[in-house]
Amino acid sequence: MSRIHEEQLTSFFVENQARFYRLAYSYLKNREEALDAVQSAVCRALEKQDSLQEPDALRAWFYRILINVCTDMLRRQKRVTLLPPEELDEGSYEDPLPADELLQRRVEELPLELQTVIKLRFYEELSLKEISEVTGWNLNTVKTRLYTALKKLRVSLEGEELYG
Amino acid sequence: MDEFKDAKKAYEDIPIPDELGGRVWAGVCQGRANRRRVQRRRLLRTVGSLAACFALLIGGLNLFPGFASAAADIPVLGGFFQVLTVRNYDTTEGQINYHVSVPEIQTDADDALARKVNEEIQERVDAHLEETKQLWEEYREAYLATGGTPEEWEQRQMDVIVDYEIRSQTDTTVSFVVNLFQGSFNAYNKLYFYNLDLANDRDITLEDLLGEDWVEICNTAIQKQIDESVDENGFTYFFPPDKGGFSTVDETTSFYINADGTPVVVFPQYEIAAGAAGAVEFPIRESSNVG
Repeated sequence: MSRIHEEQLTSFFVENQARFYRLAYSYLKNREEALDAVQSAVCRALEKQDSLQEPDALRAWFYRILINVCTDMLRRQKRVTLLPPEELDEGSYEDPLPADELLQRRVEELPLELQTVIKLRFYEELSLKEISEVTGWNLNTVKTRLYTALKKLRVSLEGEELYG
Repeated sequence: MDEFKDAKKAYEDIPIPDELGGRVWAGVCQGRANRRRVQRRRLLRTVGSLAACFALLIGGLNLFPGFASAAADIPVLGGFFQVLTVRNYDTTEGQINYHVSVPEIQTDADDALARKVNEEIQERVDAHLEETKQLWEEYREAYLATGGTPEEWEQRQMDVIVDYEIRSQTDTTVSFVVNLFQGSFNAYNKLYFYNLDLANDRDITLEDLLGEDWVEICNTAIQKQIDESVDENGFTYFFPPDKGGFSTVDETTSFYINADGTPVVVFPQYEIAAGAAGAVEFPIRESSNVG
């Protein structure tokens, strides 16, 4: 199978719409905005369907579009400023989040990029390779950032749980 | 992974709004329409530069199926009749974005069927544009009445699309669909199918294509496809027969004709399946009676 058909794309959206909505909502924290984001992302995906080369990469490809839509919305509303890359990596986990809050709340307080890694890995259960396709970071960067995020969250996981 | 169990559960408990299915479908409609618009523009440009080599283009249409399906969106180059875009504009009025391409059938001589169809399309398009304007006004009032601020309202947008797509054509027949779409708080689209035999000035019917047993042939094929849609968890988007699901086709059932001549029966969104499934299509492959 070389190219994905529009019908397959459509049924992928229909079948997974709840997942997409939840992911959008987890960034935007607003029902109307999350609905707008899903609609825009689906629209954009249909427009750009020719850019999807590998049918196997469909999931990562669409998450990438969806997360970009959400990030753009947040940025437009100035609700978020993205950190320079160096702050996401070395050293930044010197400053963990307070441990007394629920883990899910602490995830929400992470810098956006680190939230993305955590949500995709543990909520959406994407592989590290897929996360690398979604974010455009190389595999090592994904690993480092996942590790950084977990440090900040004060969660320690073993290798297999982490990369499984 | 246990650490994340509760967090994941809280995440999965995020409630899903009822409108989600409609909004996904709205995104699909918009995306499709936008993509076709770009393709059509690209092709028209190609056609323009190749005007001197028309014969080559027509040869190309027959040779490459991929090319033919993309080209099905551009005006048909038949001697007997052609389908042309008579109104074509992308514009924004206030918060409403219009993407409008209205088709019209043009024939060599005055043709009653073509005239009737053209008038009907025009009426439907005008009604759609009028209706969406009213709807927008109603939304505005409801929005402000329920505590939305004028500033928030101004962030809202509505997309109105009028579009058409030729599904198949021969020298004397054409099958096309006109899509009227509205997307804002709620989205809907209406599809109107035209299957015309311009040599004989009449609408093509399912009976013409499938023979006198057309009802039975369609019902069997459709029921089979509905049965096949049930997944391993027993889930299907189709309603059960006692809950407004599919019962039978009749003279009012919509359909179009595929490039290979197969009739494809279409039910509008919500009619026999959950809104999330959109408009549902059933190719009727039983073709033993096709002449």
